[in-house]
Amino acid sequence: MKILIVEDEPSLNKSIVDYLTSQQYLCEQVSNYRDALDKIETYDYDCIVLDIMLPGGNGLQLLQSVKKSGKTDGVIIISAKNELDDKIKGISLGADDYLTKPFHLSELSVRIAAIIRRKNGMGNNLISFEEIVVDVQAHTVSVNNQPVILTRKEFELLLYLVINKNRVLSKNTIAGHMWGDDMDMADSYDFIYAHIKNLRKKLLAAGAGDYIQSVYGMGYKFALR
Amino acid sequence: MKLLDKYSRLNITATILTFIIGSCTFYFLLNYILIRELDERLQAEQQEIQAYVNTHKSLPDIVRTKDQFTIYEQATAKVNTAFTTVKLKQNNEQEDYREIKFSLLARDKYYQVTVGTPLDETEALLQVIIGVTIAMIGIILLIGFLINRIVIRRLWKPFYSTIESVKNYHLSEQQTLKLERTDIDEFSLLNQSINEMVDRIQQDYGSLKNFTGQAAHEMQTPLAVIRTKLDTLMQNEAVLEKNAPLITDIEKAVHRLSRLHQSLLLLTKVENKQFLLNENINLGKIVTDKYEEFGEMASAMNLEVKVDLQPLTLLFHQQLAEIIIGNLLNNAIRYNRKAGEIEVTLHDSVLTVANTSEKGNLDNAKLFKRFYRDADSSEGTGLGLSIVKQICDMAGYIISYRFYEGKHVFTIIFNQP
Repeated sequence: MKILIVEDEPSLNKSIVDYLTSQQYLCEQVSNYRDALDKIETYDYDCIVLDIMLPGGNGLQLLQSVKKSGKTDGVIIISAKNELDDKIKGISLGADDYLTKPFHLSELSVRIAAIIRRKNGMGNNLISFEEIVVDVQAHTVSVNNQPVILTRKEFELLLYLVINKNRVLSKNTIAGHMWGDDMDMADSYDFIYAHIKNLRKKLLAAGAGDYIQSVYGMGYKFALR
Repeated sequence: MKLLDKYSRLNITATILTFIIGSCTFYFLLNYILIRELDERLQAEQQEIQAYVNTHKSLPDIVRTKDQFTIYEQATAKVNTAFTTVKLKQNNEQEDYREIKFSLLARDKYYQVTVGTPLDETEALLQVIIGVTIAMIGIILLIGFLINRIVIRRLWKPFYSTIESVKNYHLSEQQTLKLERTDIDEFSLLNQSINEMVDRIQQDYGSLKNFTGQAAHEMQTPLAVIRTKLDTLMQNEAVLEKNAPLITDIEKAVHRLSRLHQSLLLLTKVENKQFLLNENINLGKIVTDKYEEFGEMASAMNLEVKVDLQPLTLLFHQQLAEIIIGNLLNNAIRYNRKAGEIEVTLHDSVLTVANTSEKGNLDNAKLFKRFYRDADSSEGTGLGLSIVKQICDMAGYIISYRFYEGKHVFTIIFNQP
């Protein structure tokens, strides 16, 4: 899975690359318009993470040249501009998703995974972790080929954990993903705890290993013990 | 009062005054001239009689005509010649006469001679003048009225068309102001000035909008860096083991900062009217959706929720409507007490959100102010209600708060313009 990161803020660029690399993506990074255009014209990527304001040009122009040359690279725009018209413009130019800064890296990784899944069409809807298999299309989960019945929120939570496996996810991050950034954190911590508890109970009952680990009271990690 | 009315009123008053003064002067002048004419005629008569007496040494015979009479009276002494106006009864009618009285010496006797002539000519004249004056005032008023109705209305048309264009102009729609061309200097000067002003405002507005956008970009990138670095830091188990509470606090602060920042941006945009209210939205559905979103919170607090919605479609803005409903419901849940109640009703364009609470009556004056927070609640940005208020003000909806039967009641009246 090859991903191109186009972001002019070096430290942000590096963080994204580090995070995605740790998730077994192959990342390339550029920080200006010229280099980005060269890369896009020369290579094919599964997904391009694109900032709008770049030195030397506008990210939306890059998006246009991607679409003009008939490439099928998935594009996710990351922008500080929370302007609705920019968002609409980006999507109408053919971007697959739009993420407003500041965002959580885990959120970015979920969106990238979704774009790549969509791009690869059917047949690739299964995400697995050990004996747990999540069918993204059908919204079903099975453990050792036995279906497990989850609520919608529990399913969302599990998918999020599985995609961001082996990473520490703070409660705040999880809340942001599950209920949006508008919800106040203090309110959502209890719900996260309740959902995690129920999810863990259901997975254990279905015979899966105990992969959800609490990390120093600040968050959770989905990993092998 | 319209300029036209004010002008007409002045004009009409001046016209009437001028005519009255003019007519009076005209009347007195004519009266004076006519009387002098009569006096000359009477004087000529006097001279004729005098001449007759001088030649024939006797008084002439009295010839009574319709417009003249002569009376001889014996007098004891000579009287001075004098003109007078008298009223005499004739055929049961009072009539004015002009008389001359003078003395004659005939056959050694003094005679007082009176020659009179009726004044009805001058009276007729007076009537004619009054009639003409009234008629002319009437005609002038009528013509003035017609000119105002037709000509002036047409003359002022470019002015009203300019006003109409300015009224329909919205800065945030970035449209150009189209003003009707006119060949009247004053109006084309007005149009030119308005156009220049609008150009300037548009430039200022553009640079302000750019600034807001750039400021947002400049602030959010560092925020994004902090957040992603924190995410990275969190993956380091050794750091986490020692500093988990610190990192959690930093994360909370960053989250709050970015929310605050976004709320302020939203407020500014609402204030600048950068949203166009041109979407048909189904308010009932938004309430239902938002309630489902918060349902988990409500059930965690064992709240009893009563929702009674009538369908309502508004010409509004989807995102803003969601923000209004979201903020109100969020508050109703957050500031509720355990096992409390929430009542949401939507009837006849009036939305009411009522909730029980541990807190008493809130300060109505401060409630919708920015950064107003109850002393013992530290959560929240303190901008939620002021955003709701700002959006309502912008859209012309009326929001009010009251404390009723132990419940905080927020009411929004969605009156469509």
